[in-house]
Amino acid sequence: MSDTTTRAVAKPVPVPDELSEGFWAAAARGRLAIQRCADCGRYTHPPTTVCSGCFTVPPHLAAEDVSGRGRIASWTVVRQAFLPGFRDDVPYVVVVVELDEQPGLKVLGRLVDGVDATFAIGDRVEVTFEEPAPGVAVPAFRLGGGRS
Amino acid sequence: MSHRFKGRNEVAIVGYAHSPVRRHADVPLGALTVETCRQAIADAGLEQHQIDGFTTGSILPSAGGHGSVDGVDIVTATWLAEKLGIHPRWSSGFQGYGQLPGSFILAAQAIVSGTADYVLVHRALSNPAGKYHENPMTEAHGMAQWTAPQGFWGPPAGIALSCNEYFHRAGATREDLAQVVVGLRANGAEIPWSYWYQRPITVDDYLNARVVADPICIFDCDIPVDGAAAFVLTSAERAADLPHPPVYISGWAQGNPTEPGLAMTWALDDIMAGGARTAAMLWAHTGLTVDDIDHPQLYDGFSPFIWYWLESLGYCGPGEARHFLQDSRAEELQILHSGGALGNGRMHGVPQLLDCYLQLSKRAGERQLPNRRTALACHSSPHFGGVMAFSAERF
Repeated sequence: MSDTTTRAVAKPVPVPDELSEGFWAAAARGRLAIQRCADCGRYTHPPTTVCSGCFTVPPHLAAEDVSGRGRIASWTVVRQAFLPGFRDDVPYVVVVVELDEQPGLKVLGRLVDGVDATFAIGDRVEVTFEEPAPGVAVPAFRLGGGRS
Repeated sequence: MSHRFKGRNEVAIVGYAHSPVRRHADVPLGALTVETCRQAIADAGLEQHQIDGFTTGSILPSAGGHGSVDGVDIVTATWLAEKLGIHPRWSSGFQGYGQLPGSFILAAQAIVSGTADYVLVHRALSNPAGKYHENPMTEAHGMAQWTAPQGFWGPPAGIALSCNEYFHRAGATREDLAQVVVGLRANGAEIPWSYWYQRPITVDDYLNARVVADPICIFDCDIPVDGAAAFVLTSAERAADLPHPPVYISGWAQGNPTEPGLAMTWALDDIMAGGARTAAMLWAHTGLTVDDIDHPQLYDGFSPFIWYWLESLGYCGPGEARHFLQDSRAEELQILHSGGALGNGRMHGVPQLLDCYLQLSKRAGERQLPNRRTALACHSSPHFGGVMAFSAERF
């Protein structure tokens, strides 16, 4: 099957659930929010059902706004899209970002500066948002941003 | 308290069979597996009715959301037993990662405990129609919501992340990965059942190959195939009466990742910290040290795993694997001898384990290496896969 006969497929949109609704609601208002434990203060991403810091039961976990700033922990350039909705976007950069709030606290998103941008592991980034479908905001990152 | 394996060298591999590895087999996967298992039982000098235990890790290792019909895309232990006409005393499936060591460990435990006397361990892999890792999802539920709406999907992009970290820290490059892949393909080119038989590649072939997710190119990824392999295990005592030299299971270890994380993102620090725990468990379980192993066969479903396993097991320090592979100790050890997944096709740990068996039982024919008495076979990543040690002699 040639590309010209391939029908365009939509990008996957997130389906919020009990654990993730706070994250996606914050994204919709242009904020990055990460699950945090009210007892010990530890952030966990992706959100979980028992705090990974204090293991308190019942847990007291809720999404809380964070700075959206951090550094590039790693990256890749996607050149073959295994998700058909991203076929027309390749090549593009995906970064794993370690947020300033806590060592090892990582969020993943595209780097909107594009494949020609100069960057390396350790460089600073800040959150921005992409809109793959009307009303859907997905966190992404751009180079720059000072320390929180 | 000692963590030594009480069943050390009490269970042996006594026979095997391996199908040809093809992009698409000319018979259905279930039929290929039944035929291969019958050959393995005969190879062990046994009658089919003597097999009273079955196990496997049956998953199709694809992120593509393909159907998994038993006997068509996958072959479970219970399906296989039924098609061999056996009501086994014991049958079980391994559910985690590192399916090959995982299922061998279940089999060894069943034999040591007396739950079964002769266990057939098989692995059947298929290459489904369509793109292997392509996933047509338009909604991202559960764990997928943290990576798929962001355009990140599939193991090649996952290994790319840790590989870029490795490159950044160690100053390694694609030229260094090329030596791993070219070496594995050179070995695979010597193996008659390999998909890549008589098809080695050069460094230039590697450097000019299509990149999937920087820096990972198609030759860093094992090619999806149809294939089946089977091994027969029994007690050391029973093995003494069978035709081939037994190869004893000396111990094992499995990774148990503790850090929660984004699916398929595999941070280098997590891989290496988990790998160090896996290696420590292996040495404690077997009573061996890295210097005792004559024939280490490391996993390579993606080429950087060779480096990660070398450093996890203690063959060299962090970031030194590419140098280690060029020194005389590596030449002696023949780390890449099995051809691995990159030199055989996506047989998920089978090439490594089979080469350990063939070398220690002295059944490797033209590929027999001298002075092979101990071996280890790895599968999957050091932090969540598994590793087994074998010996030609009981100690």
